Amino acid sequence: MMSIAFQDTSNVLQARAEHNAKLALRADRKRVTWFPVVVLGLLLALPALQFVGNYNYVLHLILFTACYATMASGWNILGGFTGYISLGHNVFFCIGGYFAGMILARYGVSTLVTAPLAGLICAAVGYLIGRITLKTRGPSFIISSLALVMIARILFDNWHFVGGANGVALPANDLSVVWAKLPYYYAFVVLAAAAVFVSYKIKHSKFGLGLRAISKDEIKAESAGIDTRTYKTLAFAISAAFVGMAGAIWGEYLTYIRPNIFLVILVSVNMVLMCILGGKGTVAGPVIGAILIVAFNEIFVATLGSSELNILASGLIMALALMFFPLGVIGTLAAKHRLPRILNWD
Amino acid sequence: MADILQTLILGLALGGVFALMGSGLSLVFGVMRIVNLAHPVMIIAGAYVAYWGFKLYGIDPLVMLPVAIVILAVIGILLYKLVFEREARSAKYSEMTVLLTFAVAMIVEGALGGLFTNTQRVTSPAYATDAIFIGDVFIPTGQLYAGILSLVIIAGLALFLKYSRFGYAIRATTQNREAAELLGVNVSMVALVSFAIGIGLAGAAGSLVSFVFSFFPAKHWEWIAVLMSLVVLGGMGSLLGTVVASFLLSVIAAFVGTYIGATWSTMTFFLALFLILLVRPQGLFGEKPELA
Amino acid sequence: MSELLHVSNVTAGYGDGPAILDGAELTVEPGKVHCIIGPNGAGKSTLLKAICGMLKVRKGDVLYRGESLKGLRPDQVLRKGICFVPQERALFPKMTVRENMRMGGFSLPDTSNLEKRIDEIEERFPILKERRDQHAGTMSGGQQQTLAMARTMILKPDIVMLDEPSLGLAPKIVQEMFDIMRMMAAEGITILLVEQNALMGLKNSDWGVVLDLGKTLFSGPAKDVLQDPRIQDLYLGGSKAA
Ligand SMILES: Nc1ncnc2c1ncn2[C@@H]1O[C@H](COP(=O)(O)OP(=O)(O)O)[C@@H](O)[C@H]1O
Ligand SMILES: [Mg+2]
Repeated sequence: MMSIAFQDTSNVLQARAEHNAKLALRADRKRVTWFPVVVLGLLLALPALQFVGNYNYVLHLILFTACYATMASGWNILGGFTGYISLGHNVFFCIGGYFAGMILARYGVSTLVTAPLAGLICAAVGYLIGRITLKTRGPSFIISSLALVMIARILFDNWHFVGGANGVALPANDLSVVWAKLPYYYAFVVLAAAAVFVSYKIKHSKFGLGLRAISKDEIKAESAGIDTRTYKTLAFAISAAFVGMAGAIWGEYLTYIRPNIFLVILVSVNMVLMCILGGKGTVAGPVIGAILIVAFNEIFVATLGSSELNILASGLIMALALMFFPLGVIGTLAAKHRLPRILNWD
Repeated sequence: MADILQTLILGLALGGVFALMGSGLSLVFGVMRIVNLAHPVMIIAGAYVAYWGFKLYGIDPLVMLPVAIVILAVIGILLYKLVFEREARSAKYSEMTVLLTFAVAMIVEGALGGLFTNTQRVTSPAYATDAIFIGDVFIPTGQLYAGILSLVIIAGLALFLKYSRFGYAIRATTQNREAAELLGVNVSMVALVSFAIGIGLAGAAGSLVSFVFSFFPAKHWEWIAVLMSLVVLGGMGSLLGTVVASFLLSVIAAFVGTYIGATWSTMTFFLALFLILLVRPQGLFGEKPELA
Repeated sequence: MSELLHVSNVTAGYGDGPAILDGAELTVEPGKVHCIIGPNGAGKSTLLKAICGMLKVRKGDVLYRGESLKGLRPDQVLRKGICFVPQERALFPKMTVRENMRMGGFSLPDTSNLEKRIDEIEERFPILKERRDQHAGTMSGGQQQTLAMARTMILKPDIVMLDEPSLGLAPKIVQEMFDIMRMMAAEGITILLVEQNALMGLKNSDWGVVLDLGKTLFSGPAKDVLQDPRIQDLYLGGSKAA
């Protein structure tokens, strides 16, 4: 047995050496932190355009993109880092929206104030749900997440306190048309930045390493001493929190909350699609994906208009992306060592 | 008492239809390990075949049934060739295919919606609105016919699987793909044919559904969770399990509908799905947690 | 020296993964029992899979009666007369014993004699006759292995490849499996056996092959292999202790 044992270690040593070599190569590619910072600065300064004209449409597009970037980044923490694909994350979009929306409707407190609280609530609900559904894995988990949406839809449709299927109208803010979008614009840009920052921090932490281990091989991760259950439930909670905060502000921005704006499958699909298209499990991926999908929707809806075609197109993009582009923009570029430094946020 | 009996009968009548709706899903999972989220939308497509036959030419949905089977089976073959044949080689196969079938479901829904709009449809042959009375209890003939025909089709499928040469190949592939291949079974052919049969069954179910439920393209989302609950409870891949689970859940849902409220009737399936996945993911007839 | 099957310098692996076999050599002579031994993960199963067409042979060649098997599918290799009984799960657990036997004849172009052939085999394995309507998955490990081996005889193959027929069986049962194997050999079926239980495998074989790290390290008459001090030290010590 002696020589076999020796042979085994030599394999391990060689693999280790190769791995280290790769790491060294990667460390070589220095991160460019100035780029995201400059982008953020530009975005924060952009509303100054309102002094010279009406750029509400531009603001709306950016705000919408930032909203989805937040949600997709949040989804990515569970779906990308941890490998648990949820098609039911719009449930947290809904819970966040209703929680903050109802407070606004009843007590007049803006969702901009209550959004963090909505995030906490969603994290708690996400933690509890995750405690249960994360016992399943792979296809089972996906199906359970779908069942979750169905259950939530029936509950919200029939919950009279929150207006049932008709929902509740929310008061609009009293700013002039030129400035009315601004609070939400800033809120979403800040949220998106926070989501990206937190994703980055998680990815580079021991926690993130654990999540990636779970995504690769959960049984091995567990035998390596990772408390997989706690790890993945936490990932679920954090991920739900971001989606919930986005939901909170989204309701006030629309000036109404209603089950069929939150609990439609397209919202879930968009989150998944953005992550796949941009690059699942990367930090920049969800942002890139959000930009692509929002831009695409804008062009597509503007030219063709119908929601049926929107569903068809989304399905088509998703199928094509899964079949021919599974690594997404960031993943593919990285695999080819062509990722521009400014996009290497990992 | 009459109430209870009535509810039971309504539940049983729908159980047969649900069993047929779920059987194709179960078959496809058994052979290919694909959780086909696009199955319900294929049922809707089958329902449209029956609907247009009825609307344009006044053809009875029961006559359109074989037509729907053939049309949907052909769609199944195309889908398999275009999408699933190449995916069979990828790692993370099961997760990828779930998302892929989800995407396919959206494509088909969008196409159906674009072609036929999202208005509610239903075929209305005479028997669909008729009923047989036995004392105080009535049996809607539409549901009765649909239920019986469903069971006949499932029995036919079971006999085919049990006794035909191809049935042996399908069962062998389901139970042990590698061993089947080693004994000379052309497993990719088996996968293709099973997929075609599975989608064909969706077509059959669709033409029956067309006069039992009203339907529109987006309705399939609701059915996804309903059908999933049936096949997961039955043990994915087990035909008998699917049938038993269908009757069980359908009857429970009927009682919930009668005694608690119609809204909560569908909730039965969703909650059941949730509970089964957590408590016994291998279902009633599965031996090990296939899905986990 | 006549040879039935010749594996020369074969490289093979899974998917796009690394080469698991790298320089595997094997010569199979007709009518004999060949035993491949080697530690867990050495590539023994991989070698059998490469021969039967489940894995692509990347380099080197597999010659059967002078004809290359490279690029053939498993069903094509089977029709040439080479049966493979894979490790552990060779059966269809929810089919009856009889149905499993029928599956054994699935590749026959003419199945008119199949039932008769199965009857003949059942006569020789009474346990299979007794259990014919029972689901295969409900039988004991030894019975299942018996079924898997008996099933190959339906096709009257030239070569039967057995991957660890002893796995998970009690020593007494293991000997029974080897007895069945020897009986098959006595009927002229060439056996290619893979065993981790090296000692017992070699004792029941004519020819021994040591495979490790994807390479053939040694090959010779089974009793020479058993007595070689280096091999005893490296590969037989562990199994003697176990
Ligand atoms: N299906 C597979 N996919 C990838 N690698 C595999 C697979 N099966 C076996 N291996 C790898 O191939 C090597 C040899 O395995 P195997 O041939 O089964 O060994 P043995 O049968 O000698 O114990 C092992 O390192 C194992 O990890
Ligand atoms: Mg092995």
